[in-house]
Amino acid sequence: MIAPPKFANRILETFCREEYLEDIQGDLEEEFAMKAPASTLKARIWYFLEVLKLLRPNLIKHFQPFIHLIHDTTMFRNYLKIGFRNLTKYKSSTLINVLGLTVGIAAFLLIALFVKDEISYDQHHLHAEDVYRLTVKNFDQDGSLSRQWAFASAGHAQRFKSDYPEVTHAVRFFPWAFPDLRIGERVFPGEMVVFADEDVFDTFTFPFIIGNPESAFDEVKSLVLTESSAVRLFGSDWQSKDILGKSIELSRDGMEAPFQVTGVMHDMPEQQHFHFEYLAPIQFVEQLFGKNAMNNVTGNYNWLTYLRLQPGTNPEIIEDRKDEFFDKYVGKTSNGLPAKDGYDFELQPLTSIHLHSNLEGEIESNGSIEQIYIFSIVGILLLLVACINYMNLATSQFSRRMKEIGVRKVVGARKISLIHQFLTESFIINFVAFPLAIILAWLALPYLNDFMDKTLSLDFIQNVDLFAGLIILMLAVTLMAGLYPATFMAKIHLLQALKGESAIRSNKWNFRYWLVTFQYAVTIGLIFTLAVIKGQMQFINNSDPGYQKDQIVHLWMSNKIQNLEVFKYELLQHPDINKATYASRVPTGRLADSWGASFFRNDSAEQVNFRLPFILADEDFLSTFEIPLIAGENFSKNMNMSQDSVGYYLINRTAAEALGFSNPRDIVGKKLSYGNYNDQQLRAGRILGVTEDFHFESLHSEITPMIILKDDWKTRKICLQVDTKDISSVLEHIESTWAQFDMESSPQYRFLDEIFAEQYQAEERLSTMITAFTMMAIFIGCLGLIGMVGFIISTRYKEIGVRKVLGASAGSIAMIIAEQFLILVGIAFVASIPIAYYFMSGWLNDFVYHVNISIWFILLPALVAMTITVFTIGYQTLKASMINPVECLQDE
Amino acid sequence: MKDFQLGEFEEIVLLTVAILNDEAYGVSIKQEIEERLKRSVSVGALQSALRRMESKGFLISNLGEASSVRGGKRKRYFNITDLGKKALAYARDTRNQLWDAIPDFVLKMI
Repeated sequence: MIAPPKFANRILETFCREEYLEDIQGDLEEEFAMKAPASTLKARIWYFLEVLKLLRPNLIKHFQPFIHLIHDTTMFRNYLKIGFRNLTKYKSSTLINVLGLTVGIAAFLLIALFVKDEISYDQHHLHAEDVYRLTVKNFDQDGSLSRQWAFASAGHAQRFKSDYPEVTHAVRFFPWAFPDLRIGERVFPGEMVVFADEDVFDTFTFPFIIGNPESAFDEVKSLVLTESSAVRLFGSDWQSKDILGKSIELSRDGMEAPFQVTGVMHDMPEQQHFHFEYLAPIQFVEQLFGKNAMNNVTGNYNWLTYLRLQPGTNPEIIEDRKDEFFDKYVGKTSNGLPAKDGYDFELQPLTSIHLHSNLEGEIESNGSIEQIYIFSIVGILLLLVACINYMNLATSQFSRRMKEIGVRKVVGARKISLIHQFLTESFIINFVAFPLAIILAWLALPYLNDFMDKTLSLDFIQNVDLFAGLIILMLAVTLMAGLYPATFMAKIHLLQALKGESAIRSNKWNFRYWLVTFQYAVTIGLIFTLAVIKGQMQFINNSDPGYQKDQIVHLWMSNKIQNLEVFKYELLQHPDINKATYASRVPTGRLADSWGASFFRNDSAEQVNFRLPFILADEDFLSTFEIPLIAGENFSKNMNMSQDSVGYYLINRTAAEALGFSNPRDIVGKKLSYGNYNDQQLRAGRILGVTEDFHFESLHSEITPMIILKDDWKTRKICLQVDTKDISSVLEHIESTWAQFDMESSPQYRFLDEIFAEQYQAEERLSTMITAFTMMAIFIGCLGLIGMVGFIISTRYKEIGVRKVLGASAGSIAMIIAEQFLILVGIAFVASIPIAYYFMSGWLNDFVYHVNISIWFILLPALVAMTITVFTIGYQTLKASMINPVECLQDE
Repeated sequence: MKDFQLGEFEEIVLLTVAILNDEAYGVSIKQEIEERLKRSVSVGALQSALRRMESKGFLISNLGEASSVRGGKRKRYFNITDLGKKALAYARDTRNQLWDAIPDFVLKMI
């Protein structure tokens, strides 16, 4: 006869109420016997499912442990007492336990704080669910996405609101010109005043301290401050000064306008993806620019635009209308193609911007959801590893507790009361470890904040959730860590317990070994992850970006400096400033500007069908950045595209190849038209030369074709190649030269290698965090190993004695013990490397240029794990292998 | 008359127990329902309903004989109590009252 599945029966027996078990199980088996002849497999599946469906509240047992814990206070007090005695008696193992849990919990706590902070962005707005950011996608002529902008054009917001009934509110933000603010005699230069549509206070929730949002924008020249800007302008006692209605003069480029303070808001919370300190009505900018200038619906992506939809509206409804929208307002673009093919909208939910959006020109740098996933996984793993540590150490102590358990059983302790006892001990350990973990986390928090650019806090009074969460976490950890040791101890047979340790077989594969394997797997996985990240960082630092990055200072130009030639000449007077070049964009930046181009092949013009972005530069660009010219000639000094109405072009090797010239020499002198100058004409000209490829953008992206134009109408930066021996004198020279040309502002300069490093800041942070986590995992793991090896030695004490008597050497005995662990390392290695490999190759794919995961990356973690194991267990193992057999073989 | 309240499934189970008279135990009840009503019944739902009605006093049960197909486990036979009968009658009465209250022309359309 075919028997029903044992496992299912086990479940049934564990959970079903005893008084019901017999007949229900009988019913099931009877029906199983009827079904089995047709198809055994189907019958077995049926049986299993029926058992699962039987787990109903009125059929299952009451969960006993808690009920007893509450009622049985007498015994509970005894458990506490015995628990404390044991913990104080075995101080070293208590210390190891507490340390392991403390580190694990502290890491988990910090990660939880970080993750909670990251996922709470923009949730505080009342209508957060219905607010979307309007972003614009631009497509190239071949239909591929060229750029997606976080900003929209000036004409979008109002049209969306008037055309689509689903859009109830539309807000643009526009930071205009960074005006100087003047109050009486005091001047605050270059403040970021943001002009916004009046819907702003209905779309976002910005609570006011004084004034009120309904009337704040009634007058065009109104200014709403935040707490911190109010403090800056009026001093920290601004609240006593009655600043409502006070006049503030905005001035920029000779224009002056008196604004009135109409309100003060609370500072925008940290968990928001933009932070502004001044808001003013956008009508002011409209009057300034003229209505027509703010009517465009393509290009000029400078207007951060948000739409509030009717509750529950699917944003796709709006997105789907883009063809209609562009047909209505644009029709065909200047090159004759329908505009609807070149543009698209995407509405991003407000609450997902911080973690999911990484577009062109994000207002602030956002978080990343991958990081959240990685940290969450690592945090949970660390907590698990700490719990496992406790399990191992607690069970390894059992030999000491054997007699106690035996006596308790003889006196009449049931299994359940022993479980309570050991759970109580786990609780005591946790009760000590938690406050320590909180202190540890509190100590580490400032570093984490500093490093991750956050303001996390462990403030229990303001954050009751946090406190409740911690209590729940503490109970969860108590159960997670304590349940296995408790049941393990309670299950020991009475006779074995009284006979003493020798009766317990410990060298078979049991649950504990799997726990240690898991710990190893986590450690090996983390070491592998770390190795790959470090390897990639090394790769970035060592890889040649194709240009000189180490000795470059660049300055943002001011529009006060009219005579670029003289300014450059003056700067070059300093002996340590070797070269200088003007450029619109600088390597490490983005290639964001792109125009149409046509290339003349055998006298017939053809449209260039790939994206060919440009920068403007002068004749010293290549020599300043030490970019080699591989064919043709450099610009000469007197070339100027705007004045000559002729194109002067340098292209990079990739661009030459993309145009079909594998040998760059062949393309030199070919005709090319490029550009979208104010006369809307392509500028015909010739390709003067071809440069070697260099990484203008970061290694995350591929080297794309690019073109360098010789022109100066948009050269925003001057780059200086300097000798860094005496950098302060160079900087002094820069400042004094600047002062001759522009009295009002001071030069803003940066070193290129800093910006270069910032491109990889996210990776650098990840690397440091993973280093810290790996250290913790190794630390906790080592603690666990110490406990584990002690356990093994104590259970195989007699075996070691017998082996010694029979002539085993100390070395071979050490090997027997170490061997077990090395097998575990092997299993863990096989289990964890594929998973870690999968994740890390995904991470590496974010980089177009990345290090290959070589065999060393894979072997290294195993080697490290083995080395750590040998060192950790070495002392105890050697001690055990050198015992005198007489000591361990004599029994009472 | 809240005490007599029966769920739809409970009512079916109770009726089936009454039909099977002295032969009602888990498997037979389940098969009876499945055959008569052409609907599948899970052991969990059935047992849960049986125990619930037992605790309400609509059913009593006693253990019967064991057999080898059952792996040596005894059957639990269920019998309907007077209270159970009252509950059934009450359920039927309330249905009838409601049926009677439906105007004739509404029923014609069905």
